[in-house]
Amino acid sequence: MTNERYLIASYFAGAALSAGLGTIVYLFLRRPFGGVADAASGKRLSPVLKRLLPWGLLFPALLGFVSVSYEGCNRHTYKEIVQDRGYLVEKNQEQISSVLLYILVAVVFWDVIVFLILKYAQDCRNEPQLPQVDD
Amino acid sequence: MSLQLSAFLTLLVLSLAVPIILFLLLRASLTDLLRHTLKVQAGVTFYLRSFLLILFLSSLSAAIGTSFCLKPDSRFMEYVWKGAEGVSSTLEKTLWFVAVYLVLITILVATLKIKDDK
Repeated sequence: MTNERYLIASYFAGAALSAGLGTIVYLFLRRPFGGVADAASGKRLSPVLKRLLPWGLLFPALLGFVSVSYEGCNRHTYKEIVQDRGYLVEKNQEQISSVLLYILVAVVFWDVIVFLILKYAQDCRNEPQLPQVDD
Repeated sequence: MSLQLSAFLTLLVLSLAVPIILFLLLRASLTDLLRHTLKVQAGVTFYLRSFLLILFLSSLSAAIGTSFCLKPDSRFMEYVWKGAEGVSSTLEKTLWFVAVYLVLITILVATLKIKDDK
């Protein structure tokens, strides 16, 4: 396989892998997140959150993939990039690493969202009790 | 198997072992803490799963990002040093993200539990 063919194949395989990883993480978190959204947030908020979750994991995965540039300090032209297989493999590793990191940041972000949902639910539960305390 | 590939695989195995050990060590107490804090059972599952993801993603992200692209005449110890560099970066990244998770869980417990205890 020539370096150019390797570049094309690995680039599209990497894009598919990043979308796949985003989807796997979504499927892993979908049910508990849906449970939290249903139990803790209102009827209008829950479907919105559940629809946002897949995009909130898939987009960061793709963003992580496309954020890696093949141009380096000593490699500015296409020929320079393609001439070294080791450099291409290194860039593929960098892409996967970046995808994982962006998904990781997205997971932390959704952790914060779940915390806010739970806090909102708790405030709603405590609200009707306030007048009783005053009485 | 080339030295390059075996060094990379060793680093990969180590980077998988770290999150597995950490998760097994902390799972029971974290589950207890979350059950005591959260009223919604799905919330406990969500935070446990996200902890597992945080451990694996941070560790693998650092390990896969480590390049073993050394000169062909490189000696054994040069690969070991490169591997150690990878382990260092794996542990550092895992540590930072576990710290972020810990802060989040502390805020969660402090905010939600105090009101429930009242």
